[in-house]
Amino acid sequence: MSLSDIIRHGPDAATLQLWLKKVPYAVYLDIRAEQHGDEILFILPADDKLIGNPTLPALHGGVVGAFMEQAAVFHLMARMSEPVIPRVIDFSLDYLRPTRLRDTYASCTLTRQGRQIANVSISAWQERSDTPNAIARAHFLIPEPD
Amino acid sequence: MSALTVAEKSDIIEKMCRYITHGHLQGICLESIDGEELTLRLPYRDELVGNPDTGAIHGGALTVLLDQALGIAAICCDRVGPVLTPTLDLRIDHLGTAPAGSDIFATARVYRVTRRVLFIAGFAYCESRDKPIARATGSWVLMPELDLTGLLEPAHGEGPS
Repeated sequence: MSLSDIIRHGPDAATLQLWLKKVPYAVYLDIRAEQHGDEILFILPADDKLIGNPTLPALHGGVVGAFMEQAAVFHLMARMSEPVIPRVIDFSLDYLRPTRLRDTYASCTLTRQGRQIANVSISAWQERSDTPNAIARAHFLIPEPD
Repeated sequence: MSALTVAEKSDIIEKMCRYITHGHLQGICLESIDGEELTLRLPYRDELVGNPDTGAIHGGALTVLLDQALGIAAICCDRVGPVLTPTLDLRIDHLGTAPAGSDIFATARVYRVTRRVLFIAGFAYCESRDKPIARATGSWVLMPELDLTGLLEPAHGEGPS
């Protein structure tokens, strides 16, 4: 079954896992998702292969961005009445503090969803959700459903 | 700081590419140096796919490559020297899609250096640099008190570790 087929079913914790398993890059990064009420929590488990600065050690800044982008994509899909795979238009990332080699979390806010364009804000943290390591926002193009 | 030779830059870039664990595992390597401009290559691998229905490369894989290319451009900038330069921000415009099976290249250049901040721009492409699939701009903080020269010493054998 393709990702397009799977996402036709509304998301719960199990379908989010199923979505993630269909994206090779999300599998490679080992991104997880948990549903807490209406909120979706995305998790990037600590792994040596994600290190950018071995001296600190800290995660590769690009990996933190990739994790946040994937979180935004699935958060947006989970909020669609008829889920389709959105295409990223642009991604803007602010690094606030080094992301150490430990589990990283992300949550998203769908700031605006139009018919064709969506704006998603993403926050990634390690210690506490109110002290993010990085924040980002992304615009997505929502393709017309087939 | 006198300008680095191409050989010196090449040495710094190759050492940084080995030092950055994740980039090294991805196979990110130096492709070319042209004056103040450097180009890195990310070899295609199936696990970089972001859209399993089209085979297109994940936007995040481009973020990794561009962050690394722009960040290394900061370190081997003629006007700076090898000091620690943490990323402040990075913006990526996705102009196109990287087709399945293609290696991706990222070119970066420092276009402005102030006392504390480096402004860097770059782009990613597959077949031709005239057809970029992504553009990136970002700011890096200059921390001259954190010298990386020790990390880049040849005495470390296999590069900084």
